[in-house]
Amino acid sequence: MRTKLVVAVTALGLLLMAVPAWAHHAFAAEFDQNKPIKVQGSVVKWELTNPHSWIHIDVKGADGKTVTWMIEGASPNNLYRLGLTKESLPPGSVISVEGYQAKDGSTRAVGRNIVFANGKKFFLGLSEAESGPAKP
Amino acid sequence: MQKQFRNVVVASMAAAIVLLAAMLGGAQAPAYRAPRTGDGKPNLNGIWQALNEANWDLQGHAAGHGPVAALGAAFSLPPSLGVVEGDEIPYLPAAAAKKKENQANWTKLDPEVKCYLPGVPRAAYLPYPFQIVQGPQNIMMAYQYAGGVRIINMGPATKAPGDSWMGWSNGRWEGETLVVDVTSLNDQTWFDRAGNFHSDALHVVERYTPRSADTLMYEATIEDPKVFSRPWKISMPLYRRVEKNARILEYKCVEFAEELLYGPLSKKP
Amino acid sequence: MSHRLPALAVGLAVMIVVALLAQLPATAQTPASAAKAPAAAKAWMVPRAPDGKPDLQGIWSDNTLTPLERPKGLGAKEFYTDQELAENSKKAREGNVGEEGELGAARPNAVRYDLELYGFDPSKLRYTSKRTSLIVGPEGVVPPMLPGARERNAEITAKNKGHEFDSYLNRPLSERCILMGQEQIPMRPGANEGNLLQIVQGQGYVSLLHEIDHSTRVIPTDGRAHVPQNIRLWQGDSVGHWEGDTLVVDTTNFTNRTPFRGSSEKLHLIERFTRTADNTMVYQFTVEDPTTWAKPWTAEIAWTKTKGPVYEWACHEGNTMITTILRGARVADAEAAKKGK
Repeated sequence: MRTKLVVAVTALGLLLMAVPAWAHHAFAAEFDQNKPIKVQGSVVKWELTNPHSWIHIDVKGADGKTVTWMIEGASPNNLYRLGLTKESLPPGSVISVEGYQAKDGSTRAVGRNIVFANGKKFFLGLSEAESGPAKP
Repeated sequence: MQKQFRNVVVASMAAAIVLLAAMLGGAQAPAYRAPRTGDGKPNLNGIWQALNEANWDLQGHAAGHGPVAALGAAFSLPPSLGVVEGDEIPYLPAAAAKKKENQANWTKLDPEVKCYLPGVPRAAYLPYPFQIVQGPQNIMMAYQYAGGVRIINMGPATKAPGDSWMGWSNGRWEGETLVVDVTSLNDQTWFDRAGNFHSDALHVVERYTPRSADTLMYEATIEDPKVFSRPWKISMPLYRRVEKNARILEYKCVEFAEELLYGPLSKKP
Repeated sequence: MSHRLPALAVGLAVMIVVALLAQLPATAQTPASAAKAPAAAKAWMVPRAPDGKPDLQGIWSDNTLTPLERPKGLGAKEFYTDQELAENSKKAREGNVGEEGELGAARPNAVRYDLELYGFDPSKLRYTSKRTSLIVGPEGVVPPMLPGARERNAEITAKNKGHEFDSYLNRPLSERCILMGQEQIPMRPGANEGNLLQIVQGQGYVSLLHEIDHSTRVIPTDGRAHVPQNIRLWQGDSVGHWEGDTLVVDTTNFTNRTPFRGSSEKLHLIERFTRTADNTMVYQFTVEDPTTWAKPWTAEIAWTKTKGPVYEWACHEGNTMITTILRGARVADAEAAKKGK
């Protein structure tokens, strides 16, 4: 019951998130919508920092080489209000990520959707929306 | 009435014993009793500031060179008797090496240089004021430097879901003393400019005890089994800023660290 | 030893007095403004903080569907009827809302993720007042910007044009974690974590902690003068006083780089905080800047008490936005240079 309340309050908050003027601009400047990525890997580290959290995952490429991707997620404050804690994503967890790669060409991406290996959705999401009028 | 009289007799006998013990055994009972807030608690409201060299180096040291030749003596290391009880910081061997490395690379590694939040206990003895705003359920400590702030929960203790720069503070009163138990600090802050550091296992217990109308005694017991072989303690007075319109002012220092942090990413002319 | 005996006697006397006083029941707090209270016995009275002032403490959210400016076509209509409000709420919850609601990130064309994965429940969307806009009065919109202000702002934009990614100096203050949109005063509804506000009151001060960027204002309530004119601050200088049960906060001394809707360092902000029920605070702000708007304008938002806690939202320490953006720009520069542009 308490979890439901937390989720509802958060949802209301997220829903009413006005797009700050910088958010739209910042997103387009940071990530490339023409470079979608879809990777699966095991969690190495979960940084619960602001303005965004970051999941580091080790992804094995077709060539057998392992590349570490950094996936950007929501502010951890959102996640805490969803009932998550720093123990919620243990290293070694296998997750699938859909997102958009960073414009600087690094192995960073914003995480649009995150799914556990067993198919269970674990969504951390974007803290910036794609479009919507920039508010002065 | 009988019960009340008995209580008074018991109370005054207890008081007499305490006084006698104090006279004979070296006083442990606080000599100063602070004025009370409306909810009956010692009144710690006000703007406070440490007046020592702890932010340079918690341990005693002679004067020394500063890091920047161009600033000469104006930014040199002032001498200090130190604030560590016993003057020893009991590092585990591997950690002692890291401390030396930190100290040698201070300007590159000290989070203070980057305008990062100072953590606990360093926030209390930065050379800038902080303000205690004391409510019944929550006590706020607002630090001038970098707009650092923390809320001390005075209700039943709660747990943090994750780590933070200023930690998670649960407080309670022990007589005249505000005791604050601080956990869930991240491992990114330092204790001073001398490279004294800690891990994310840091646990700090602070004690704020009114000493006079315009001073508090501040003590902090520091425990971190990943870095130190035992708990250790610092203590120092905090002084009230008694100027008539004393304020903590906005000190958003990000601007002053940007060239250092982002300069290399600027467009080359 | 003889000089200690009087001390002992005094000590004992003090102890006895203290012990006796401790037997007394706690004195009931009588509201200072009892004279102003309505005659009805059941009228809500604002609780008192330990220093006798109205107690504004708690964690507050300013979330609301109400837009800042009045939808076009509503003219001077300042309030919806109950039925209209119910209809608008229903539309919003069905994901179908126009100017009459502010959905922010929930705008259909803005959503890049399935909100339901967040546990989003559209049935929880609501208006916190019947106002058609947060801006009060017959017009309900921000007054037109004065020509001088338009020019001033156009100049600023022109100067940055073509240089937006040159260095950190060219980037928005929010991207630099200097001043986030949601921490800037006056306080307007916005991002979920950004609009959590914790109020703590101590003797002579009311402090406001905005979760985003841990933005804190410790406001003296003795009506003192502002800091000297030459001291300019990103969030200005706030001083307060009580008018009955309302906290009135006056803010001046803004910098000329504080970009509230294109205003200048002459910005003058007056905020009023009135707790109207256990779980409701009415926050009203009036802004004036004679070099930006022809007249002052006022907005009013109803806040709701919410469950905390407020968590630390440290921005600068983890700021990967600006480094990724500047690096991305340098990569683009290098690519453009390679193409011989």
